[in-house]
Amino acid sequence: MAKATSERAPPLTRSDTGRQPRKLAPEHLWGVVFVLPYIAIFLLFVVYPVGYGLWLGADWTKLQALFADPLYYRTAVNTLILLLVGVNLKMFIALLLSGYLLQPYKWMPFVFMLIVLPWAMPAIPTFISVRWMLNGQWGLINNFIWTFWEIEGPGWLTSPSLAMGSVVTFYLWKWVPFWTVIFVAGRTAIPKELYEAAAIDGARGLQMFRFVTFPMMASLYLICTVLSMIWTLGDYNTVRFITGGGPVLSTHVLATLGIRDAFEVGDPGLGMAAVISALPLLVPLVAFLVWKMNKEHVQL
Amino acid sequence: MLAKAAPFLARRALIGVLTAGLLAGSALASTAGAETLTVWWNKGFYPAEDEAFDQVVAEWEKATGNKVNLSYYSTGDIPAKIISAITTGQVPDIAYADLNDFAIVPQQAWKGALEDVSDVVKPVENKFTPTALKGANLYNDQEKKRSYYAVPLKQQALHNFIWKPMIEEAGYSEKDIPLDNWDKYWAFFGDAQKKLRAKRQRVFALGFPMSTVDSDNYYTFNQLALAYGARFVKPDGTLNLDDPKAKEGAIKAITFLTQAYADGLVPQGAINWGDPDNNAAFFSKQIIMTSNASVSIPVSKSDDEKTYHEIITQPQPTGPDGQPVSSLVAVKIAVIPKGAPQVKLAKDFLSFLIEPERLDSYLRAARGRWLPVMPELIKSDPFWTDPTNPHIPVAVKQELEGPTEPWPFVYNPAYSQVNAEQVWGKAIGDVITNGLTPEKATEKAFARIREIFAQYQIAQN
Amino acid sequence: MSAAETAPAHAVGKGGIGAHLAALLIALLLLFWTLLPIYNMILVALEPGDSVFSGALWPETFSLENFRIVFTQDHWYLKHFWLQMLNSLIVGLAAAFFTVLIGSMASFSIQRLRLRYGTLLSNTALLSYAIPLSFLAIPFYNILHNYGLLDNLWALIIVAVTFATPYAIFIFSQYSASIPIELDEAARIDGASVPQIYFKLYMPLMRPALVAVGTYALLLAWNEYLYAFLLLSSETTVTVPVALGYFLSSDDSPWNILMAAALIYSIPPLVIYYAMRRHMTTGLTVGSVKG
Repeated sequence: MAKATSERAPPLTRSDTGRQPRKLAPEHLWGVVFVLPYIAIFLLFVVYPVGYGLWLGADWTKLQALFADPLYYRTAVNTLILLLVGVNLKMFIALLLSGYLLQPYKWMPFVFMLIVLPWAMPAIPTFISVRWMLNGQWGLINNFIWTFWEIEGPGWLTSPSLAMGSVVTFYLWKWVPFWTVIFVAGRTAIPKELYEAAAIDGARGLQMFRFVTFPMMASLYLICTVLSMIWTLGDYNTVRFITGGGPVLSTHVLATLGIRDAFEVGDPGLGMAAVISALPLLVPLVAFLVWKMNKEHVQL
Repeated sequence: MLAKAAPFLARRALIGVLTAGLLAGSALASTAGAETLTVWWNKGFYPAEDEAFDQVVAEWEKATGNKVNLSYYSTGDIPAKIISAITTGQVPDIAYADLNDFAIVPQQAWKGALEDVSDVVKPVENKFTPTALKGANLYNDQEKKRSYYAVPLKQQALHNFIWKPMIEEAGYSEKDIPLDNWDKYWAFFGDAQKKLRAKRQRVFALGFPMSTVDSDNYYTFNQLALAYGARFVKPDGTLNLDDPKAKEGAIKAITFLTQAYADGLVPQGAINWGDPDNNAAFFSKQIIMTSNASVSIPVSKSDDEKTYHEIITQPQPTGPDGQPVSSLVAVKIAVIPKGAPQVKLAKDFLSFLIEPERLDSYLRAARGRWLPVMPELIKSDPFWTDPTNPHIPVAVKQELEGPTEPWPFVYNPAYSQVNAEQVWGKAIGDVITNGLTPEKATEKAFARIREIFAQYQIAQN
Repeated sequence: MSAAETAPAHAVGKGGIGAHLAALLIALLLLFWTLLPIYNMILVALEPGDSVFSGALWPETFSLENFRIVFTQDHWYLKHFWLQMLNSLIVGLAAAFFTVLIGSMASFSIQRLRLRYGTLLSNTALLSYAIPLSFLAIPFYNILHNYGLLDNLWALIIVAVTFATPYAIFIFSQYSASIPIELDEAARIDGASVPQIYFKLYMPLMRPALVAVGTYALLLAWNEYLYAFLLLSSETTVTVPVALGYFLSSDDSPWNILMAAALIYSIPPLVIYYAMRRHMTTGLTVGSVKG
């Protein structure tokens, strides 16, 4: 890690030299050759399917049908809950955890190793396990409650609000570890000298965080949050395998609603319309991400 | 020079390999089209079902010299496969899903996306039950006519399954179940629950699927509504919602289910149950009885003699009006999608499959989970009426001696859309989770059903 | 471990026994929370035959029978389990390989060769992030049929590569900013060709990022369910998640066997992750912390 940190000592002048017109003919040719495989993939497997998808879903009557469905509003709200509450909570917990995990106790590496398990294990069987664990009749949690008190535990998956809460909770369970790993790396990449300098200036505890860690991590945190929102928008597995959209279709998100409309209701156009309806949210997020990343890139 | 060229050559070789791989893939696919029949089939609930179909395929391959490219998909996955295929026009030659009749085929027939298979059905028309023929005779809105767009293979209806040891533990015997009185019948299980709870067993009386996924929930609701006298669609394909009995029946059915749920007679989880879940709850003895379409519950245990005989199979009890309840029979159908490369071969295969003796041995090898759609099979093969079998003859009596009637979607594909959208599951859920009254929930469901039917106007002539 | 070595100064050893105990308590809570669903998997997998729903909080009768069934493929749904594992492995490794290759070539071209319109291209690649994976299922089904690739492992490899490559280009571009361009220039002055620079200079220096992205692509492919069941069909070509899906529509509900299979299926990514974990952390972020 230390090696990588020193390697990336930023050549601050590069953005100046980078704009020199130095495109010699053979180099330019090689440039094209090297990028060709990606362009092929992009045209064959991104442009074509996206175009086809838009053609399937850009049907005004389908959009109308979608907006007329009360289920759609519920789904949109759930999607927003996952995107705003879920993602932000996740990032915040990950940020805290990354600080916690860097405490220099001897046993901490062991904790670190186990904590990443939810992320490193395949999603589908773990979510199925969560679904069973939460089952009102035979799940581990309510069995525990029954064993000790002989009462029926809460309907973790049968009450709409608890079910949505379960989705968010286990979404956190699954993904906090990944972003914790990222933030641990981000924190370790902050030059020690900065902390030492701050210490000399008399900063301590929270002030260290406020004046060193936070400014250094801010961009990373922001980029990760936006990136995670975009990925979460397309997350099908969490809802599909924890609640299956139930009870009474109350926990669907756009990703699962699209698949339901396409395959269960049997209307692929409606499914694509659900996707397209996310574009007004998605496009600004992506535009922001691209802008932000370019800005970072220029500064590097 | 050579050193410089080496990486380039290496990369070129790599790209060569990649392209070759791609080409090999496509070459394989295109030669496959020449004399191979592509068949997509619903994976069975137990091995014998698949083995029985494998057998038919092997026989056909041997008899004709053709090859079958057979893929099995699970019940949950195959509708997505069929719908993707039809949407994109990249279809198999034959597609069979357990959900075909409930939620896929009637709409696709309406859109004109299926081959007319009258060639297959007509020659043996007189062998099928009238219900089976209705289930295959679907309306095509492109050509404004009804025709056979599907081949009937087998059928199911809703049966009740009860654990004998559980009711015995509650102090009753099988004979005590009051099959001749609607209210007493259901109260019986509630009473058994109370007795078992007193013995500190965490069990529930009634395993009714009440969710908004899969098909068991709408089978249960529609069968109950029918018992309460509700018929939502007329045989000419028009709506029957203005019939006071339709509304009353729907309200009673919703009330019946949601009241049982509220009274703690149905497990809470039932509002999330997919098709396998009530079976699983039943097998783990958390519920004393469950309603399930087809006799898969006992039949999947036929290797386990003890369990097989511990399960009781029953028809619907006598109706609330004191009359026998008509059973909704769902006819399971296979189709040839339009655009299939091997229509002729596909028809040949289906004709081969429904030759009475072969169909009989196929269904028998599948251990009778599905019942025959040809009455002669029942008469000619003692398997179906074997008095020592506690399950099959009960189901045969209920489904083939009647009274029975087809599902409304055979009259109008709109009702298949009602199933696919889970209109009734939502209505039940509205009462349970949103506090609507059964009346309000029914009105809401009726409004949605009217909207759906407005998109499926059948030309009357 | 390196995390502790490089811990920022503010975290280093303040506070006495009390702080240590608090940290331990937090650790215990975290581990309980993290391991609970995994414990549940193991619990179910160890249950013998019919007692999946026995309600036990710990295995009363400890049985490895379910693992034996999976190992010997002694169940109807697991007839081809090891072949399906092999499929998963092929798809995962191929996805990792092609993602790294194509992504690194593209970012090399954009960053090091300063391809004309390179920024536009990397922005376009970033834009394809905007396509939630699950949303292109039907179009993909169609085009892969047109290319004759349905029921072919290539189909799934292509999907994984398509969705992983934009991320790869992003990470590689960020990471390569830490490699001074002067190295390339020096090599060129020494007479190195462009491919030589790519293979001999760029790739070795990029190693941590390559490993990180490769692992990412592998895990992505390893976990893919939706596309796997849509694009693959025969029981001998599907990957393990699809085979696990069979269990969910079974009347028989051999869920203990499903969990045993799932646990075995979880092992390869865990091994890969723990083997690569150093690279994961450096490779994924090093470029994006503002320095």
